[in-house]
Amino acid sequence: MAVTAPALTAPPEIETEPRAAWRETWRRFARNRPALSGLVVIILLFLTALFGPALAPYGYAKTDLDSVNAPPSAKHWLGTDDLGRDMLTRMIYGARSVAFVIVIVATVSLTLGVTMGALAGYFGGATDTFISRLIDVLFAFPELLFIFFIAATIKPALVNNLKAFAQANDLQWLVEFVRSGYADYLVVMLALSVLGWAGLARLVRAQFLSLREKEFVLSAQAVGVPGHKIILRYLLPNAMAPIIVAISMGLGGIAIAEGVLAYLGIGLQPPNPSWGNILADNVGRHWRDWPDMLWLVFIPVIIITTVVLAFNFVGDGLNEALNPEL
Amino acid sequence: MSNVLLDVRNLRTEFVTQDGVVHAVNGVTFQVDEGETLGLVGESGSGKSVSMLTVMRLIPMPPGRIPSGEVVFQGQDLLKLSNEEMRQVRGNKVAMVFQDPMTSLNPVLTIGTQITEALELHMGMNKDQARKRAVELLKMVNIPEAERRLDDYPHQFSGGMRQRVMIAMGLSCSPQLLIADEPTTALDVTIQAQITDIVKRLKHELGMAIIWITHDLGVIAGLADRINVMYSGYIVETAHTKELFANPLHPYTVGLLGSIPRLDQGKKEKLTPIEGLPPDLVNLPTGCPFYDRCTFRTQKCLEENPPLMSVGVKHWSACWNYEAVREKRDEILRRTVAQPVAA
Amino acid sequence: MLAYIVRRLLWLPVLLILISLITFALGIYGPGDPVQVMMGLHARPDIIAQVRKEYGLDQPFPVQYWNYMTNALRGNFGYSLVKYQGQRVSDLIAKRLPVTLQLNLVSVCWSLPLAIALGIFAALKRKSWLDVFLRGMVILAVSIPVIGLQPVLTFLFSRKHEIGPMTLGPFLPVGGWGGIFSPQVILPAFILGLGVLAVFTRQTRAAMIDVLNADYVRTARAKGLKEWMVLVRHALRNALIPLVTLIGFVLAGMFAGSFIIESFYGIPGVGQLAYDALISKEYYIIMAFTLMIAVVYVLMNLLIDILYVFVDPRIRYK
Repeated sequence: MAVTAPALTAPPEIETEPRAAWRETWRRFARNRPALSGLVVIILLFLTALFGPALAPYGYAKTDLDSVNAPPSAKHWLGTDDLGRDMLTRMIYGARSVAFVIVIVATVSLTLGVTMGALAGYFGGATDTFISRLIDVLFAFPELLFIFFIAATIKPALVNNLKAFAQANDLQWLVEFVRSGYADYLVVMLALSVLGWAGLARLVRAQFLSLREKEFVLSAQAVGVPGHKIILRYLLPNAMAPIIVAISMGLGGIAIAEGVLAYLGIGLQPPNPSWGNILADNVGRHWRDWPDMLWLVFIPVIIITTVVLAFNFVGDGLNEALNPEL
Repeated sequence: MSNVLLDVRNLRTEFVTQDGVVHAVNGVTFQVDEGETLGLVGESGSGKSVSMLTVMRLIPMPPGRIPSGEVVFQGQDLLKLSNEEMRQVRGNKVAMVFQDPMTSLNPVLTIGTQITEALELHMGMNKDQARKRAVELLKMVNIPEAERRLDDYPHQFSGGMRQRVMIAMGLSCSPQLLIADEPTTALDVTIQAQITDIVKRLKHELGMAIIWITHDLGVIAGLADRINVMYSGYIVETAHTKELFANPLHPYTVGLLGSIPRLDQGKKEKLTPIEGLPPDLVNLPTGCPFYDRCTFRTQKCLEENPPLMSVGVKHWSACWNYEAVREKRDEILRRTVAQPVAA
Repeated sequence: MLAYIVRRLLWLPVLLILISLITFALGIYGPGDPVQVMMGLHARPDIIAQVRKEYGLDQPFPVQYWNYMTNALRGNFGYSLVKYQGQRVSDLIAKRLPVTLQLNLVSVCWSLPLAIALGIFAALKRKSWLDVFLRGMVILAVSIPVIGLQPVLTFLFSRKHEIGPMTLGPFLPVGGWGGIFSPQVILPAFILGLGVLAVFTRQTRAAMIDVLNADYVRTARAKGLKEWMVLVRHALRNALIPLVTLIGFVLAGMFAGSFIIESFYGIPGVGQLAYDALISKEYYIIMAFTLMIAVVYVLMNLLIDILYVFVDPRIRYK
């Protein structure tokens, strides 16, 4: 005998427009001052990257031997390094490197990660097993070690082959490209993306696995909505929040990785400036070579930290805005 | 009856949130006698759980705060005790059993540990004594193979069994007052009956007072001596159980009764839900909080919030129009309310 | 649950073989002809042929892989060809591994307990100025890359005469290795531990807040338990469970950190060895290093999963 009080059960949840939900998220995000200032820094970073060559007062490799290791002045706002190169110029070009890596790595790992995760989570079975095992293997290598290993092994061969190919086919631009050091850089970025997607795929797969069992998906399947539509219209929008949070929380890490790899000499190659190799040049890679010219070290450190901080603030802000119960 | 055990006067509880101050309990006054069973009825957000958590001083502060009120238990105002003094009251003289047995037991500790820790602390028992007592307690709530099950973890028990463990835990130090916060809501109907039977039996055996919180009038009909009906942080009606069922004098109580299915009711009879939603606890209306959903409302209800008024023998109702309710309620219920509904 | 562990154990050898195959294939053939790369372009052809034969590189790939792995399992990972000519890679690693392990141990020992304490504290005093301050410090700590932290901290705290004339501190000697009780260890161990400190403070705080809101903590309070009993026995025990899964992550982060820090401070550990190997293209060392860490990492993660089963009775009985 069901003795219940139907009048006292909670009212049905009010359906909200998805657009309204995003507006609400933005409202919560905008209330978070660190996140908002982080967003400003990030926008500045990308603007700098985009208009770098126009903004930079000198050429990034132009040496001025009359002012070597010069402190900040009206002529060189951030001073010059031991070859007399303008630090401001080099930092601006360095921003290009970070921004470029972030865009490429985020795009590649997002595309690959969501696709693979969605396939594994939606279809299950052999597809899932294969993708999951692949992820397992990738996860067996700690991130930096893996990139380091790739950089030490395939990178030189790839670059050499590319060069040989370019020379054999007389592709002048490709020869230039290889000689500029950007080919090295591409390989490292690929390595970063290869690792980035695996983490994301795991997340998407887990999301899909739980969403797949939800009533609204089952009912869509029951009325014969085709698979790709279920993935794109039903599953993906509902898995969006954690994906956005994961990506945004990872961007700071990508910025650090770009710097560290360049610092170790396996990222962007000198004389092309990356914040990492500017720092490495100026510190001398060894504590005994510490210069007594502070700006040479402090400026890159402060700028790298500010940018990473900005990404982390935005990531945190998004996380809180999308998971308000935290 | 006998002596007053718990005397709650003008108790208020608020929560400070981003959206404003939530007025959860708005000046609640009631008494519980020794050995008495009081039912506390109301829908979600009516302040019934919060008021009892306030009595136990288990409201997290902040964001919670208690701007006014007294909770006199055995002559002592619990709200004035130091944290350490209050700690010695909790679990010892006043115990509480919570709604969801699935989440209210610590998943990483054995049942034995969770029962004995209070015994060791409040009763000064050693490990062996506490364990023996724990076995007794588990037997008391009809858990088979009590000795063996002491070393099991909560997830190895079913929901009903866990709630028995919770009750055993609540009873462990022989409290004078047991507060049961919707102890059967999360359980199957058959299990609900078992749990209420156990509590009924133990109440006779142990003679403690019980405050039973529920949203379901049917559950406490056969259990409570007296019932307080709560709505948006106010007690809106209070009476002895039989009187309340026979002679409800607040439109909300009438609505609650109208929404209970009855065995003696013809098939064609429909349940009557209460339309609308309770008021926003941040911006409480100046008038009667039930105004929006009330079929008896008048201009006065909009202007002035009715206090509890004596409407019969030990029967109070917070409705300006209780006389109108008395006349028209049967029409609304579309049936005669003669006997309490058995659970 | 047992089935899950068995499945993991069965998958382990497959995973290890895949890892070794990838490492070997990339290590030997990734860079092109391995001997050519190692010996340089100007080595005499007859010497190259001799080295090739000596290392069995003239044999087909599966044979080479088999030989490498059987040797590796016996503890022989090949020889150094350039910097430490003729020395066994296994000896080189064995000599340096204790240094790295000790450095990492010191780093974990100061940072992990502190992080858990700070995390609990922040959770209890949620939204107080201290919580806000700690949160800020955590975000700052994860935002300063190690490569920036080491020169700045060295500048601030190292002994004056050891590096340039402009340092502030009279305090700390840096560089080299003097054992875990020498003052040289302080800066590297601080930098290495900072990441752990930040991550674990954040996670402990989150887990604690989660657990403090749990119904069973309210039950514990309702029983009239002393506050420390509620916090330690009921809250902390549950809060620490999810932290177990972070151990693998910390391990990976620390090896990455050792790599940068050891070469910066001249600490003779495996990180420095690997960095030197990268610069001088010593593939046998790089392969052994990668293989070693990947295997340890995989085993560690397996161990964590099994450990998890034991700390959380809910999983044990499923």
